[in-house]
Amino acid sequence: MNTVFLVVILALVWAGISGSFSGLNLLLGGVVGGVAVLVLREAFASPRALRRIRRIISLAALFLYELVVSAVRVAIVVMRPNLSSAVRPAIIAVPLTVKSDAEITLLANMITLTPGTLSVDVAADKSVLYVHALDMADKDAMIADIANGFEKKIQEVFE
Amino acid sequence: MTATLFIEWTTLISLVLLAVALLVSLVRIVIGPSLSDRVLALDLLAVVAMGFVGAIAVRTGLWLYLDIAIALALLGFLATVALARYVLLRGARQSPAQEEGR
Amino acid sequence: MLEGLELYLGGTLLVLGAAFTLLATIGVVRLPDLYTRMHAASKAGAVGGGLILLAVAVLSQDAAVSVRAIIGVMFVLLTTPVSAHLLARASYLTGYRPCNDTVIDDIAQSNE
Repeated sequence: MNTVFLVVILALVWAGISGSFSGLNLLLGGVVGGVAVLVLREAFASPRALRRIRRIISLAALFLYELVVSAVRVAIVVMRPNLSSAVRPAIIAVPLTVKSDAEITLLANMITLTPGTLSVDVAADKSVLYVHALDMADKDAMIADIANGFEKKIQEVFE
Repeated sequence: MTATLFIEWTTLISLVLLAVALLVSLVRIVIGPSLSDRVLALDLLAVVAMGFVGAIAVRTGLWLYLDIAIALALLGFLATVALARYVLLRGARQSPAQEEGR
Repeated sequence: MLEGLELYLGGTLLVLGAAFTLLATIGVVRLPDLYTRMHAASKAGAVGGGLILLAVAVLSQDAAVSVRAIIGVMFVLLTTPVSAHLLARASYLTGYRPCNDTVIDDIAQSNE
């Protein structure tokens, strides 16, 4: 049942990208999707994969929300008449618990697009991520924020 | 106000805002002071230009412009990656030597 | 009425995107050093460009164009932080120090 659903979705995506929803094109998309699902059957069918997809969606939702908040906050800071009082930049070492390259990449990208933080460098042994903060109030609170927010969710996705 | 008129006005306002944005980012490219600042401003300039092309696509109704906008975003990204490599190789110079910044 | 609603939504997104982009450039000019400027460029810039492409997706009323525009949004959101990170790292390694207002600099401390 699940595979049929997947093939239909893939056929629709195929039609959307190639730009025509004609019957023949939908059929072609369905055939291509069917072959892809047949090849990748093992990876998709398990309930673990579904749970993972739900976690990916939850991570994406959190990310989009944080992205909007961060853009609004930067915009407000930029419009302040006396800028120097609004910014208190700092470079902070955030210890990493995620280990693989893919996870670190994802985390660094998300940190860059969330409120007040920007990843600058990763230590050579991948134990520490250096983060630049635009307005630093409390170092420990910020580190805890990253560890409990994105890092946890990324770990759930990649577990 | 009808919907078409609304679109006409909003695209006009966006184009004006983006034109100002192009000029403002040009200020940072000119005054520098370091190479990295200019690369950053250039990266932003590519995003502004992409937005400009997108707004033109909406205004004219020629959706082909969208492909140009996406290609421009790709180009801006690749240019920034290449220039970041260049910064790394050459070393950022803090001195405000305008001629060298090019 | 429904089509009209789409047009109003798209127009609003377009103006919002343009405003964010403008604020990003203002931030790049006004903020004190490269790293703080990068905050403005990467966040407000990405959101601004993304909103404009999203407006194109809403307004085009053509599935092929909308899908391409949304793929464009994803592309912008993926590449902007990568380029900002690359540039920040390259600048730091080649000796671009953050401005004097900077409260803590853990990289400098770890190198001592």
